[in-house]
Amino acid sequence: MERKIFLKSLFIGAVSAPAVLAACGKESDAVTPSTTDTTGGTTGGTTSCAVAPTETEGPFPTKVPASYVRSDITDGRAGYKMTATITITNTNNGCAALAGALVDIWHCDAEGNYSEYGGSGMQSVNYTGVHFLRGRQTTDSNGQVTFTSIFPGWYSGRATHMHVHVYAANGTSLKVTQIAFPEGAGSAVAAVNGYKKGLTGYTANATDNVFRDGVTQELATVTGNLTDGFQLAISFGVAA
Amino acid sequence: MPDRIITLCYRKVIGASSVQPWEKLVFEDTYQEFRLQAQLYNPEHRYRTFAELVQQAPGADQLPFLVSAAARGYLQQLRGLVPDVVNNLGKHFLKFSQFQFEIITSDLQDKARHQVAISFYSEPLRWHDTVGSLLLVSEAAGPAATEEVLTNMISLQPYLSIHSLHQLA
Repeated sequence: MERKIFLKSLFIGAVSAPAVLAACGKESDAVTPSTTDTTGGTTGGTTSCAVAPTETEGPFPTKVPASYVRSDITDGRAGYKMTATITITNTNNGCAALAGALVDIWHCDAEGNYSEYGGSGMQSVNYTGVHFLRGRQTTDSNGQVTFTSIFPGWYSGRATHMHVHVYAANGTSLKVTQIAFPEGAGSAVAAVNGYKKGLTGYTANATDNVFRDGVTQELATVTGNLTDGFQLAISFGVAA
Repeated sequence: MPDRIITLCYRKVIGASSVQPWEKLVFEDTYQEFRLQAQLYNPEHRYRTFAELVQQAPGADQLPFLVSAAARGYLQQLRGLVPDVVNNLGKHFLKFSQFQFEIITSDLQDKARHQVAISFYSEPLRWHDTVGSLLLVSEAAGPAATEEVLTNMISLQPYLSIHSLHQLA
């Protein structure tokens, strides 16, 4: 038993000290296999040694806008239809309509979830529909953009809202803001009633962290009903 | 060897030195989208690089997701086939629907430092055998191996890895 351990330790010593063996001419044969291994490993390590593509070229890539650029941002999310018309005016030009501005909007779905991912490194997603309820449009000569979406749900701690980011035509950020919704009796928020959630625990505009300083600039006009859908309209002034 | 179901992952790194037209379009458009979206987390222009944003600006870890919208249209142009990876006949064959987009590095003032990666996750494959350095695979969605199945032979290459494995009983 002791002899076995001794032999084993000798063996380990030999493996971990090839330089010593190499120094001894007589033992050089014993080292050769390991040298061959290394060489073999290097050759085999050229794993890019794979067949190159050999087939008809194509499909030819063409320039496409980001998948945000669209009017209908629903992407199959269930909810009451809502058409949002946003008008951008230029406060540096007497609040005239600002044409050519980029308007990004995003909001949560009926359950209160945003399209997003992040964090965990192994997470992959199907490339269809991953950016639901996010969109980008360029303002027309009236400074207007129109999106087709669903009425947003709500989540704990926030009143119903939509996010808006306005950029100049050259991409410079002009305004990051949010749209607030009228609430109370007769409002769309009351009619939708938080979808399946109800409105228990709902945060009203007056106690919302973002809106409690007043919503005069951010409060949209919302008309319509559950059957025909809702129409949202709001105007934002930006310094362009 | 009993059959095993595997998925492959191919990670395609795209940067300023990329030469294919598809890569160049993805490079240009993801850089532009990065510059647009980064403003959301950088209102005072305090940060210049992606690394600074992610480490300093709350919420900036959403940037890869937000910027990925600029790559999505180009993924559709691939018509469901993983690029670059070919079978031993030199043909593209690897189907995918899942992907992951990463920003490796970027700089709001220096486009040359923009580098992204797209990982393509293949549809499940049945791994029948290994012949030399080639994996013999067929589509897992196809008929069971007791019937004749059409197969592909593929060698593992840099940035191509077995992502998941399911040993069949």
